[in-house]
Order: sequence, then C-alpha cells, then structure tokens
Amino acid sequence: MFIHLFNGMTYGALLIIMCSGLALIYGLRRVVNFAHGSLYMLGAYIGYTVALKTNFWVALVAAPAVMAALGVALDRWGFRLLQDRDPLSVVLVTFGLLLVIEDLVVSIWGKSNLSVPTPPALAFSVDIFGTSVPAYRIGVIVIGLAVAVGLTLWLRRSRAGLYVRAASTDPVTTAMQGVNTDALSAFVVGLGTALAGLAGVVAAPFLSLSPSMSSDVIIDSFVVVVIGGLGSLAGAFVAAMVLGLVQAFGAVWLPGASVLLPFVLMVAVLLFRPSGLAGSRT
Amino acid sequence: MTNLRMLAAAAVALAFGAMVSHGFESGRLLALLTQATIYSVFALGVGLLLRQNGMVSFGHALYFGAAGYVVAILIQSKWVSAESAILIAVVGLAIAAFLIGLVIVRVPGVAFSMLTLAIGQMAYLAAERSRGLTGGADGMVIEWPATLFGVSVSLLQKPASMLLLSWGGLVLALMALGILLRSRFGGVTEAVRDNEERARFIGIRTLLPRAIVYALSAAVTSLAGVLAALNTSFISPESLHWSLSGVALMMVVVGGTRLLWGPALGAAVYFLAKDVLGEHAQHWMAIFGTALIVIIVFAPEGLSGLLRRLSFNERRMARVAATGTRAVAEREAGGR
Repeated sequence: MFIHLFNGMTYGALLIIMCSGLALIYGLRRVVNFAHGSLYMLGAYIGYTVALKTNFWVALVAAPAVMAALGVALDRWGFRLLQDRDPLSVVLVTFGLLLVIEDLVVSIWGKSNLSVPTPPALAFSVDIFGTSVPAYRIGVIVIGLAVAVGLTLWLRRSRAGLYVRAASTDPVTTAMQGVNTDALSAFVVGLGTALAGLAGVVAAPFLSLSPSMSSDVIIDSFVVVVIGGLGSLAGAFVAAMVLGLVQAFGAVWLPGASVLLPFVLMVAVLLFRPSGLAGSRT
Repeated sequence: MTNLRMLAAAAVALAFGAMVSHGFESGRLLALLTQATIYSVFALGVGLLLRQNGMVSFGHALYFGAAGYVVAILIQSKWVSAESAILIAVVGLAIAAFLIGLVIVRVPGVAFSMLTLAIGQMAYLAAERSRGLTGGADGMVIEWPATLFGVSVSLLQKPASMLLLSWGGLVLALMALGILLRSRFGGVTEAVRDNEERARFIGIRTLLPRAIVYALSAAVTSLAGVLAALNTSFISPESLHWSLSGVALMMVVVGGTRLLWGPALGAAVYFLAKDVLGEHAQHWMAIFGTALIVIIVFAPEGLSGLLRRLSFNERRMARVAATGTRAVAEREAGGR
C-alpha cells in the first residue's frame, strides 16, 4: 500500500520538475512548448553520456547547464523573433523543433534502450513503515519538492521573481517600468529548459532511456498543466502530484483502465472548469 | 466561384483523375499517388478545423485510425454488412466528434490543442492495450467481403481504381465543403472564428457552429481513414498515434489554409518530397521539421498562399498593362 503511494509521489515529483518548466515558459512567452518533452529526452541522453564519462553527480549539474544555454538560445533566436506572431504558429514551430531534436537524438545515440545505473551513494533501501523503499526515489521526491519550494520562494520573495510575475501579467507595462523583459524571458526560458534537462537526468536511473521517452512524459505533462491551469505553477504542482498518485493507484486497483485515468481526470476537470483548477487566463 | 462553376470544376477534376489513373502503368507511382490522395483527404479535415474554427488539433489521427478500427471490428463481428460498417464509421464518428466537440471547443486556444492531443493519445493507448478486440500493438487485418456496393473488392483494390476512388473522395469532399462554406453557415463559422465575443453580440450562438465544424472535420478525416483501410486492408495503433496527427498538421501548414484545397496540396508535396528524399529518408523528421519551421517563419500562409499571391500579382500586372498604370492606380486609390 505504502509503496504505491511512494511510487506515485516519485512520478509526481518528476512531473513537477517537467511542468514547472512548461508553466514558466508559458507564463512569460505565451508559448506551449511542444518540444519540452524532447528537451527532457535530450537532457537525459546528455546526462547519460556525461555520467558514463564521469559520474552521475556531474551529469546532474552538467546536463541542465547545457540545456540552460540551449534554452537561452531558443528564446533569443526563436521565441523573441516570433513574439508578435499568432501563438498557434509558434506552437507549430516548437513542433518542428521537436521533430529535429528527436531525429538528432536517434542519430547520435541510436534507437536501443539505454540505462543509467543508480548512483552508488543512493543505491540502498530504507525501511519506512515496514516497507523497503529505494533511497534514490526518495532523492527524486526531495528534488521535486525542492524545485517546487525553490521556485515558489523565488517568485514570491525575490525582485527578479516579482519582475517575472509582472511580465507574466503584462509584458508591455512591465517593460515600460524599466524592466528588461527580453533578458528576463531569456533567463526564464533558459531556466525552464534547464528544468526539463534536470527532469531527464533525474528520470534516467529509474526509467530507461529510449526515443519514445519524450512522448510518454510530454502527454502526462500536458494533462498536468491543462488540469492545473495553463501558466499556473501552484496548479501544476498540485495536478502533478494528483496525477502521479492516480496513475500509481490506478495501476493497482483498475489495471485495465489505468492508462486512461489521467485523461478521464482531465476531461472531468475541464467539464467543470474549462480553464483548469487554478487558471483564469486563456 | 458559383456553385455551378464548382460542379463543373469537380467534373473536370474527376475526369482528370480517371485519365491519370489509367494513364500510368507503374504500380509504385500509382501507390504513391493513392497514398498522397488519401492523406490529402486527411489533411483537408484537419485544415477545415483550422480554417473555419481557427483551432489546431493535435489529435485528428483519432478519427483516421478509429474509422479503420470501426470498419475492421464491425466486419469481423459480422453484425452488419461491410457497406453499413463504412457508413457507421463515418456517420458514427461524426456524431461522436460532435459530442466531444460540444465539450472541448469551449477550451480556448492552445489548451484545445493539448486536449485533442491527450484524447487522441488515450484512444491510441486503449487500442494498444485491448488485445482481444483490436489485436493490440500487432494490429488487425480487415477481412473485406468479396463485393462492396456491388463492385468486386479485388477490382476496387487494384492500384488504378484505388487511386480513382480516393481521388473521387477528395474531389467530392472538396466540392461539398466548398458549397457548404459558401452558405450562411460558412459565414457564421468565420465570424465566430474571427471574434467569438462580437459574434455573440450580434446574436449568433457560437458553441454549435464550432462543434459542427469539429464534427465535419472529423467526418472528412474518417472518410480518409476508411479509404486507407480499403487501401491496405490493415489497421494498427500506429494509425491513432499522435505523431500521425502531427504529420497531418504539418501537411496543413505546408499547404496553407487560406484556400480550402491548401492542405491537400501540402499532403501531395509531403509525399513527393518524401519520395524524392529517398535514401535520406531516415532523417526525414529533421528535414521536415526544419522545412516546417522555415515555412511558418517565412511563408505563414503556406504554399497555396504563395501561389495565390503570385497569381494575384500577375493578374494585377496584366490589368495594369492593359489599361495604363495611372487609371488603375487611381481606381485602386478610390476603391480603398
């Protein structure tokens, strides 16, 4: 019983890291990044190569750093140039990017499944309430919660966070107040992309690496941000945990229908609140 | 174009199709053209939604694949004849889409795209998991009876007749939509697309037209699904996968949606390009991804938009040459 709760929380934590990146980018650029899942996959594969050459902990820092640079470039030469375009055409550009990244990953790393070993420092189990729980998964939950708390504090307490919230509400007025919104957007898209990379590295030891890993997680992430309300971080955090738990318990109680549960949940929420749990914006 | 001219154009197009399908001997070329035509119908459905509703669906493979599965399962179960199975697939999916549409078209903008993606993927997973009914990931063979609508199936499935059949489907769908969209209904959907709030202010109910457009686009897409089912006699979960929805959307963007037949042009270009690429085909995703980005950035109206702009300029230039630059310039300045 407890182990299901625990597995659900692990997946929920992973989704928190993914979806906070999606929500941040949406908040500032009004772009739903369809390539976010591919960026997650790219991060995981870069992490794999770095972990092979050095160790897991270096990969945990290096892969998100590479992805952050990529994200800044994506904003500078992608989203900024397209900011006056219709949002749907920017979505299609990210879809094109998704195709390019997926092809790149298959060309470099091949189609076969790869795996990253659990880092030795966390390769043990802990007894909690009489259930033996892998320490690595506790680590994943801790990272997920740290991301959630860290982002919330940053957005609520720091000056940069204030600017991000202001620019999410009204970028033009914010720019008039003397905030460099272009630099801010570059930073936020970089941060969001780095979070996708972080999610990839974190997922690598407990989900295997394969070219289909991006579509598995991006669909769940979309369900999460739609349920939570587009652009709402708090909504995404709650929805991510709920989805993780629903999937874990669904696999036990309703094995036949477990893959459908997230979608049923989403349709149920949208029937009553078309803009999601916490969403008011379109 | 008046309705009469549209009928004439359709007749000419059908005759052209008949000529092409009997003029070519090469089976490979015929197969390629057939596939391009079937996906033209698919893209027409996706493009219709974008053109009349301004909505991007990332889940239209749902209707493409589901049509194949409905036909396959109904024929296998022997409850109804194959002809009724085809009718049930198209009409039933249109009704199902109407009901789904009533819920999901209320979700604005990008969230709608994500929602269609999720619903489509749900169908993919359902088809993949329910092995008993659909054969799971292996797919299922469609056991067509000996005759369909009085015509022998082995004759229908010959490359030349298959091309003619799908071409006929494309032309008729284009003509029917062309006539429908010229009516008041077409105007209403465009008003709702451009500004839903203002449309509501002038007394238009906005939910129903959008749901109907969604259902129409699903019906066109399921027609493509039925054609594909007849063409290959096989259906697998791949036909429901969201990457197929993405490919259809790519065709729509490449072709452009300003003109009704733009998406069909996009599908044709897609298959020809894929064929020409040949040995580089393992990198087609990267090549098409780049092409997609380039087209959206530099030619947002797609190929049909480019063609239209070219022909407009030409016509204007001919007029300028005929009547003298000044007269036209004055008339245009006065007209504006």
